[in-house]
Amino acid sequence: MSNLILQANGLHKSFLSGERRLEVLRGVDLTVSSGESVSIRGESGSGKSTLLNLLSGLDAPDAGGLRWEGAPTITPAERGRLIGLVFQSFYLVPELDALDNVLLAARLLGKIGAPERARAAELLRRVGLAERATHVPAKLSGGERQRVAIARALMNRPKLILADEPTGNLDEGSGDSVIHLLLALCTEEGAALVLVTHNPAHAARCGRRLFLREGGFHTV
Amino acid sequence: MSWPLYLALKQLFPTGRRFPFFTAISILGVALGVALLIVSISVMGGFGREIRKMIVNTQGEVQVRSFGLINEPGKVLEVVNKIEGVVASTPFAEGVAMIEHQRKPAFPAIQGVDLQRVDAVVPLRKYIIAGKFDDLDDDRVILSSQLAATLGARIGSTIEVYSPLLLEKLKNDEVLLPCELSVCGIFEVGHQQLDSSVVIVTLRTMQELYGLGHAVHGINVKLAEDTDPDEVANKINRALPMDGVAKTWMDANQEFLFVLQLEKNMIFFLLLFIIVVAAFSVASSLLIAVVRKTREIGLLGALGATPRQVAACFCYQGIIIGVAGTAAGLALGFTVVHFRNDLVAGFTRLTGSAAALERFYQFSNLPAYLSGTDLALIVTSALVVSTLAGLLPAWRAAKLKPVEALRSE
Repeated sequence: MSNLILQANGLHKSFLSGERRLEVLRGVDLTVSSGESVSIRGESGSGKSTLLNLLSGLDAPDAGGLRWEGAPTITPAERGRLIGLVFQSFYLVPELDALDNVLLAARLLGKIGAPERARAAELLRRVGLAERATHVPAKLSGGERQRVAIARALMNRPKLILADEPTGNLDEGSGDSVIHLLLALCTEEGAALVLVTHNPAHAARCGRRLFLREGGFHTV
Repeated sequence: MSWPLYLALKQLFPTGRRFPFFTAISILGVALGVALLIVSISVMGGFGREIRKMIVNTQGEVQVRSFGLINEPGKVLEVVNKIEGVVASTPFAEGVAMIEHQRKPAFPAIQGVDLQRVDAVVPLRKYIIAGKFDDLDDDRVILSSQLAATLGARIGSTIEVYSPLLLEKLKNDEVLLPCELSVCGIFEVGHQQLDSSVVIVTLRTMQELYGLGHAVHGINVKLAEDTDPDEVANKINRALPMDGVAKTWMDANQEFLFVLQLEKNMIFFLLLFIIVVAAFSVASSLLIAVVRKTREIGLLGALGATPRQVAACFCYQGIIIGVAGTAAGLALGFTVVHFRNDLVAGFTRLTGSAAALERFYQFSNLPAYLSGTDLALIVTSALVVSTLAGLLPAWRAAKLKPVEALRSE
């Protein structure tokens, strides 16, 4: 059990929609072990992003429990160390160049020395953006921005990457390339990956494939 | 550098943008407020200082008076001169008289000075603008400039002085003729009240006009440099008989000084509102930034930032604007103060008001003085107000939950 990164038991989550309560997750169970890759597909509104928010500790379930490396709670700083997040909309800071955006993940944990700068530069090189390190997000294409976001997610050597539809805003070619890169880097870094995607082809590249429907998982 | 400070700097001065408009406008707002405060308080301080100097120059730093007359001024002078910190002292007699020149009457204050001692205490001769102070004797008089102009008196003119003693004599059916004195000098100290209604005669002449005998009304005392007037006044009070009272120039002019200070305080508070308005604009801009950057704030939380760190990031922006605005305002304010006379000269040349300025305000050079306390007060106020401007946006940012912020459109 020592390589168990994440354990979710019976997660329930509901939202109020007008006067109606929508039960999005109904007792979801999930375990993620070190180095494995899991894809989660599902229709729009099936609760994929909600689940990812619970798994990252950004949101709390109505019922059920979560354990991150065995601990029942996770602080913001622990999240920064353990989990790397990749979003559909990249969420790069527009005032920072690519290198500083990658370094931001380390800065937030109070680590900003020469080793961190070297790692950020190295990650940018590995995502193919060594030449664009001093470019601000406005001067990068969508695919390039997502690569910067992936480099940022890996900056603190997290044990788990949670990626929420990372190709949602990209064209097919860029999307394929980003997924290929994400999987390759997770493997190289030894990080587990939970990938939420609509794309069956991208999902198929993960070791374990899950489908979220009616508030629960169905193995594909 | 902590990341909230780093990100605050980056948000105010983004990478790759040469002219951050919002930052420049915010800094300019604070800078203008600080500069105006520096200029106004400096000029007010300058006027205040000139007036204080003028009071000390005409009254001495400490004044000894009696509840009645000082009948034996020699003994009092002896006592006073022995006090540590006293450099010199001079007796005086003062009152009001009616003077007349070519049928033009006036009712000025009249001051009798001891010619042997006055120079060491009160530098009257430096205010003489016509005639000579050394020509003053028992048959001569020195007039203040505006009084001389009103009477049409010049050097050599003869004026008649009627003292209250004439009325006393009339009560006893005695007739005393007015004293005829020749004008030997005209002085101007740059103070409207003094320049329009003061006459200086010798102490002996004054004693005769008022029938004082050898008595005087008071003694002006000059102190050594860096001597505390309060301390010396206390020492004199302890050494003097019960009916003698020594007062510092500050105590003697307490109400006038209070009005001066009140005016300065009012100007400070009124102009401080410029900084407050600038701070409101900074707060409003930062609040808009919080709304615009909601998802970025959510990202920071998702990457491991605590609400307090997110708040600090926006707080720092207010502080940075305050520090930069204050520094720019100090530079601008001191530059204006440095070139104030050129600016005033340019303005009066444009409006043709140079003569009026000199006539009504008695200056051609604008005085300026800013004390360390005033400077510290201006800087502290600007920094505190700017910091407060960052607090509301910071609080709003800290309240945002990362998951909701990331979900916002």
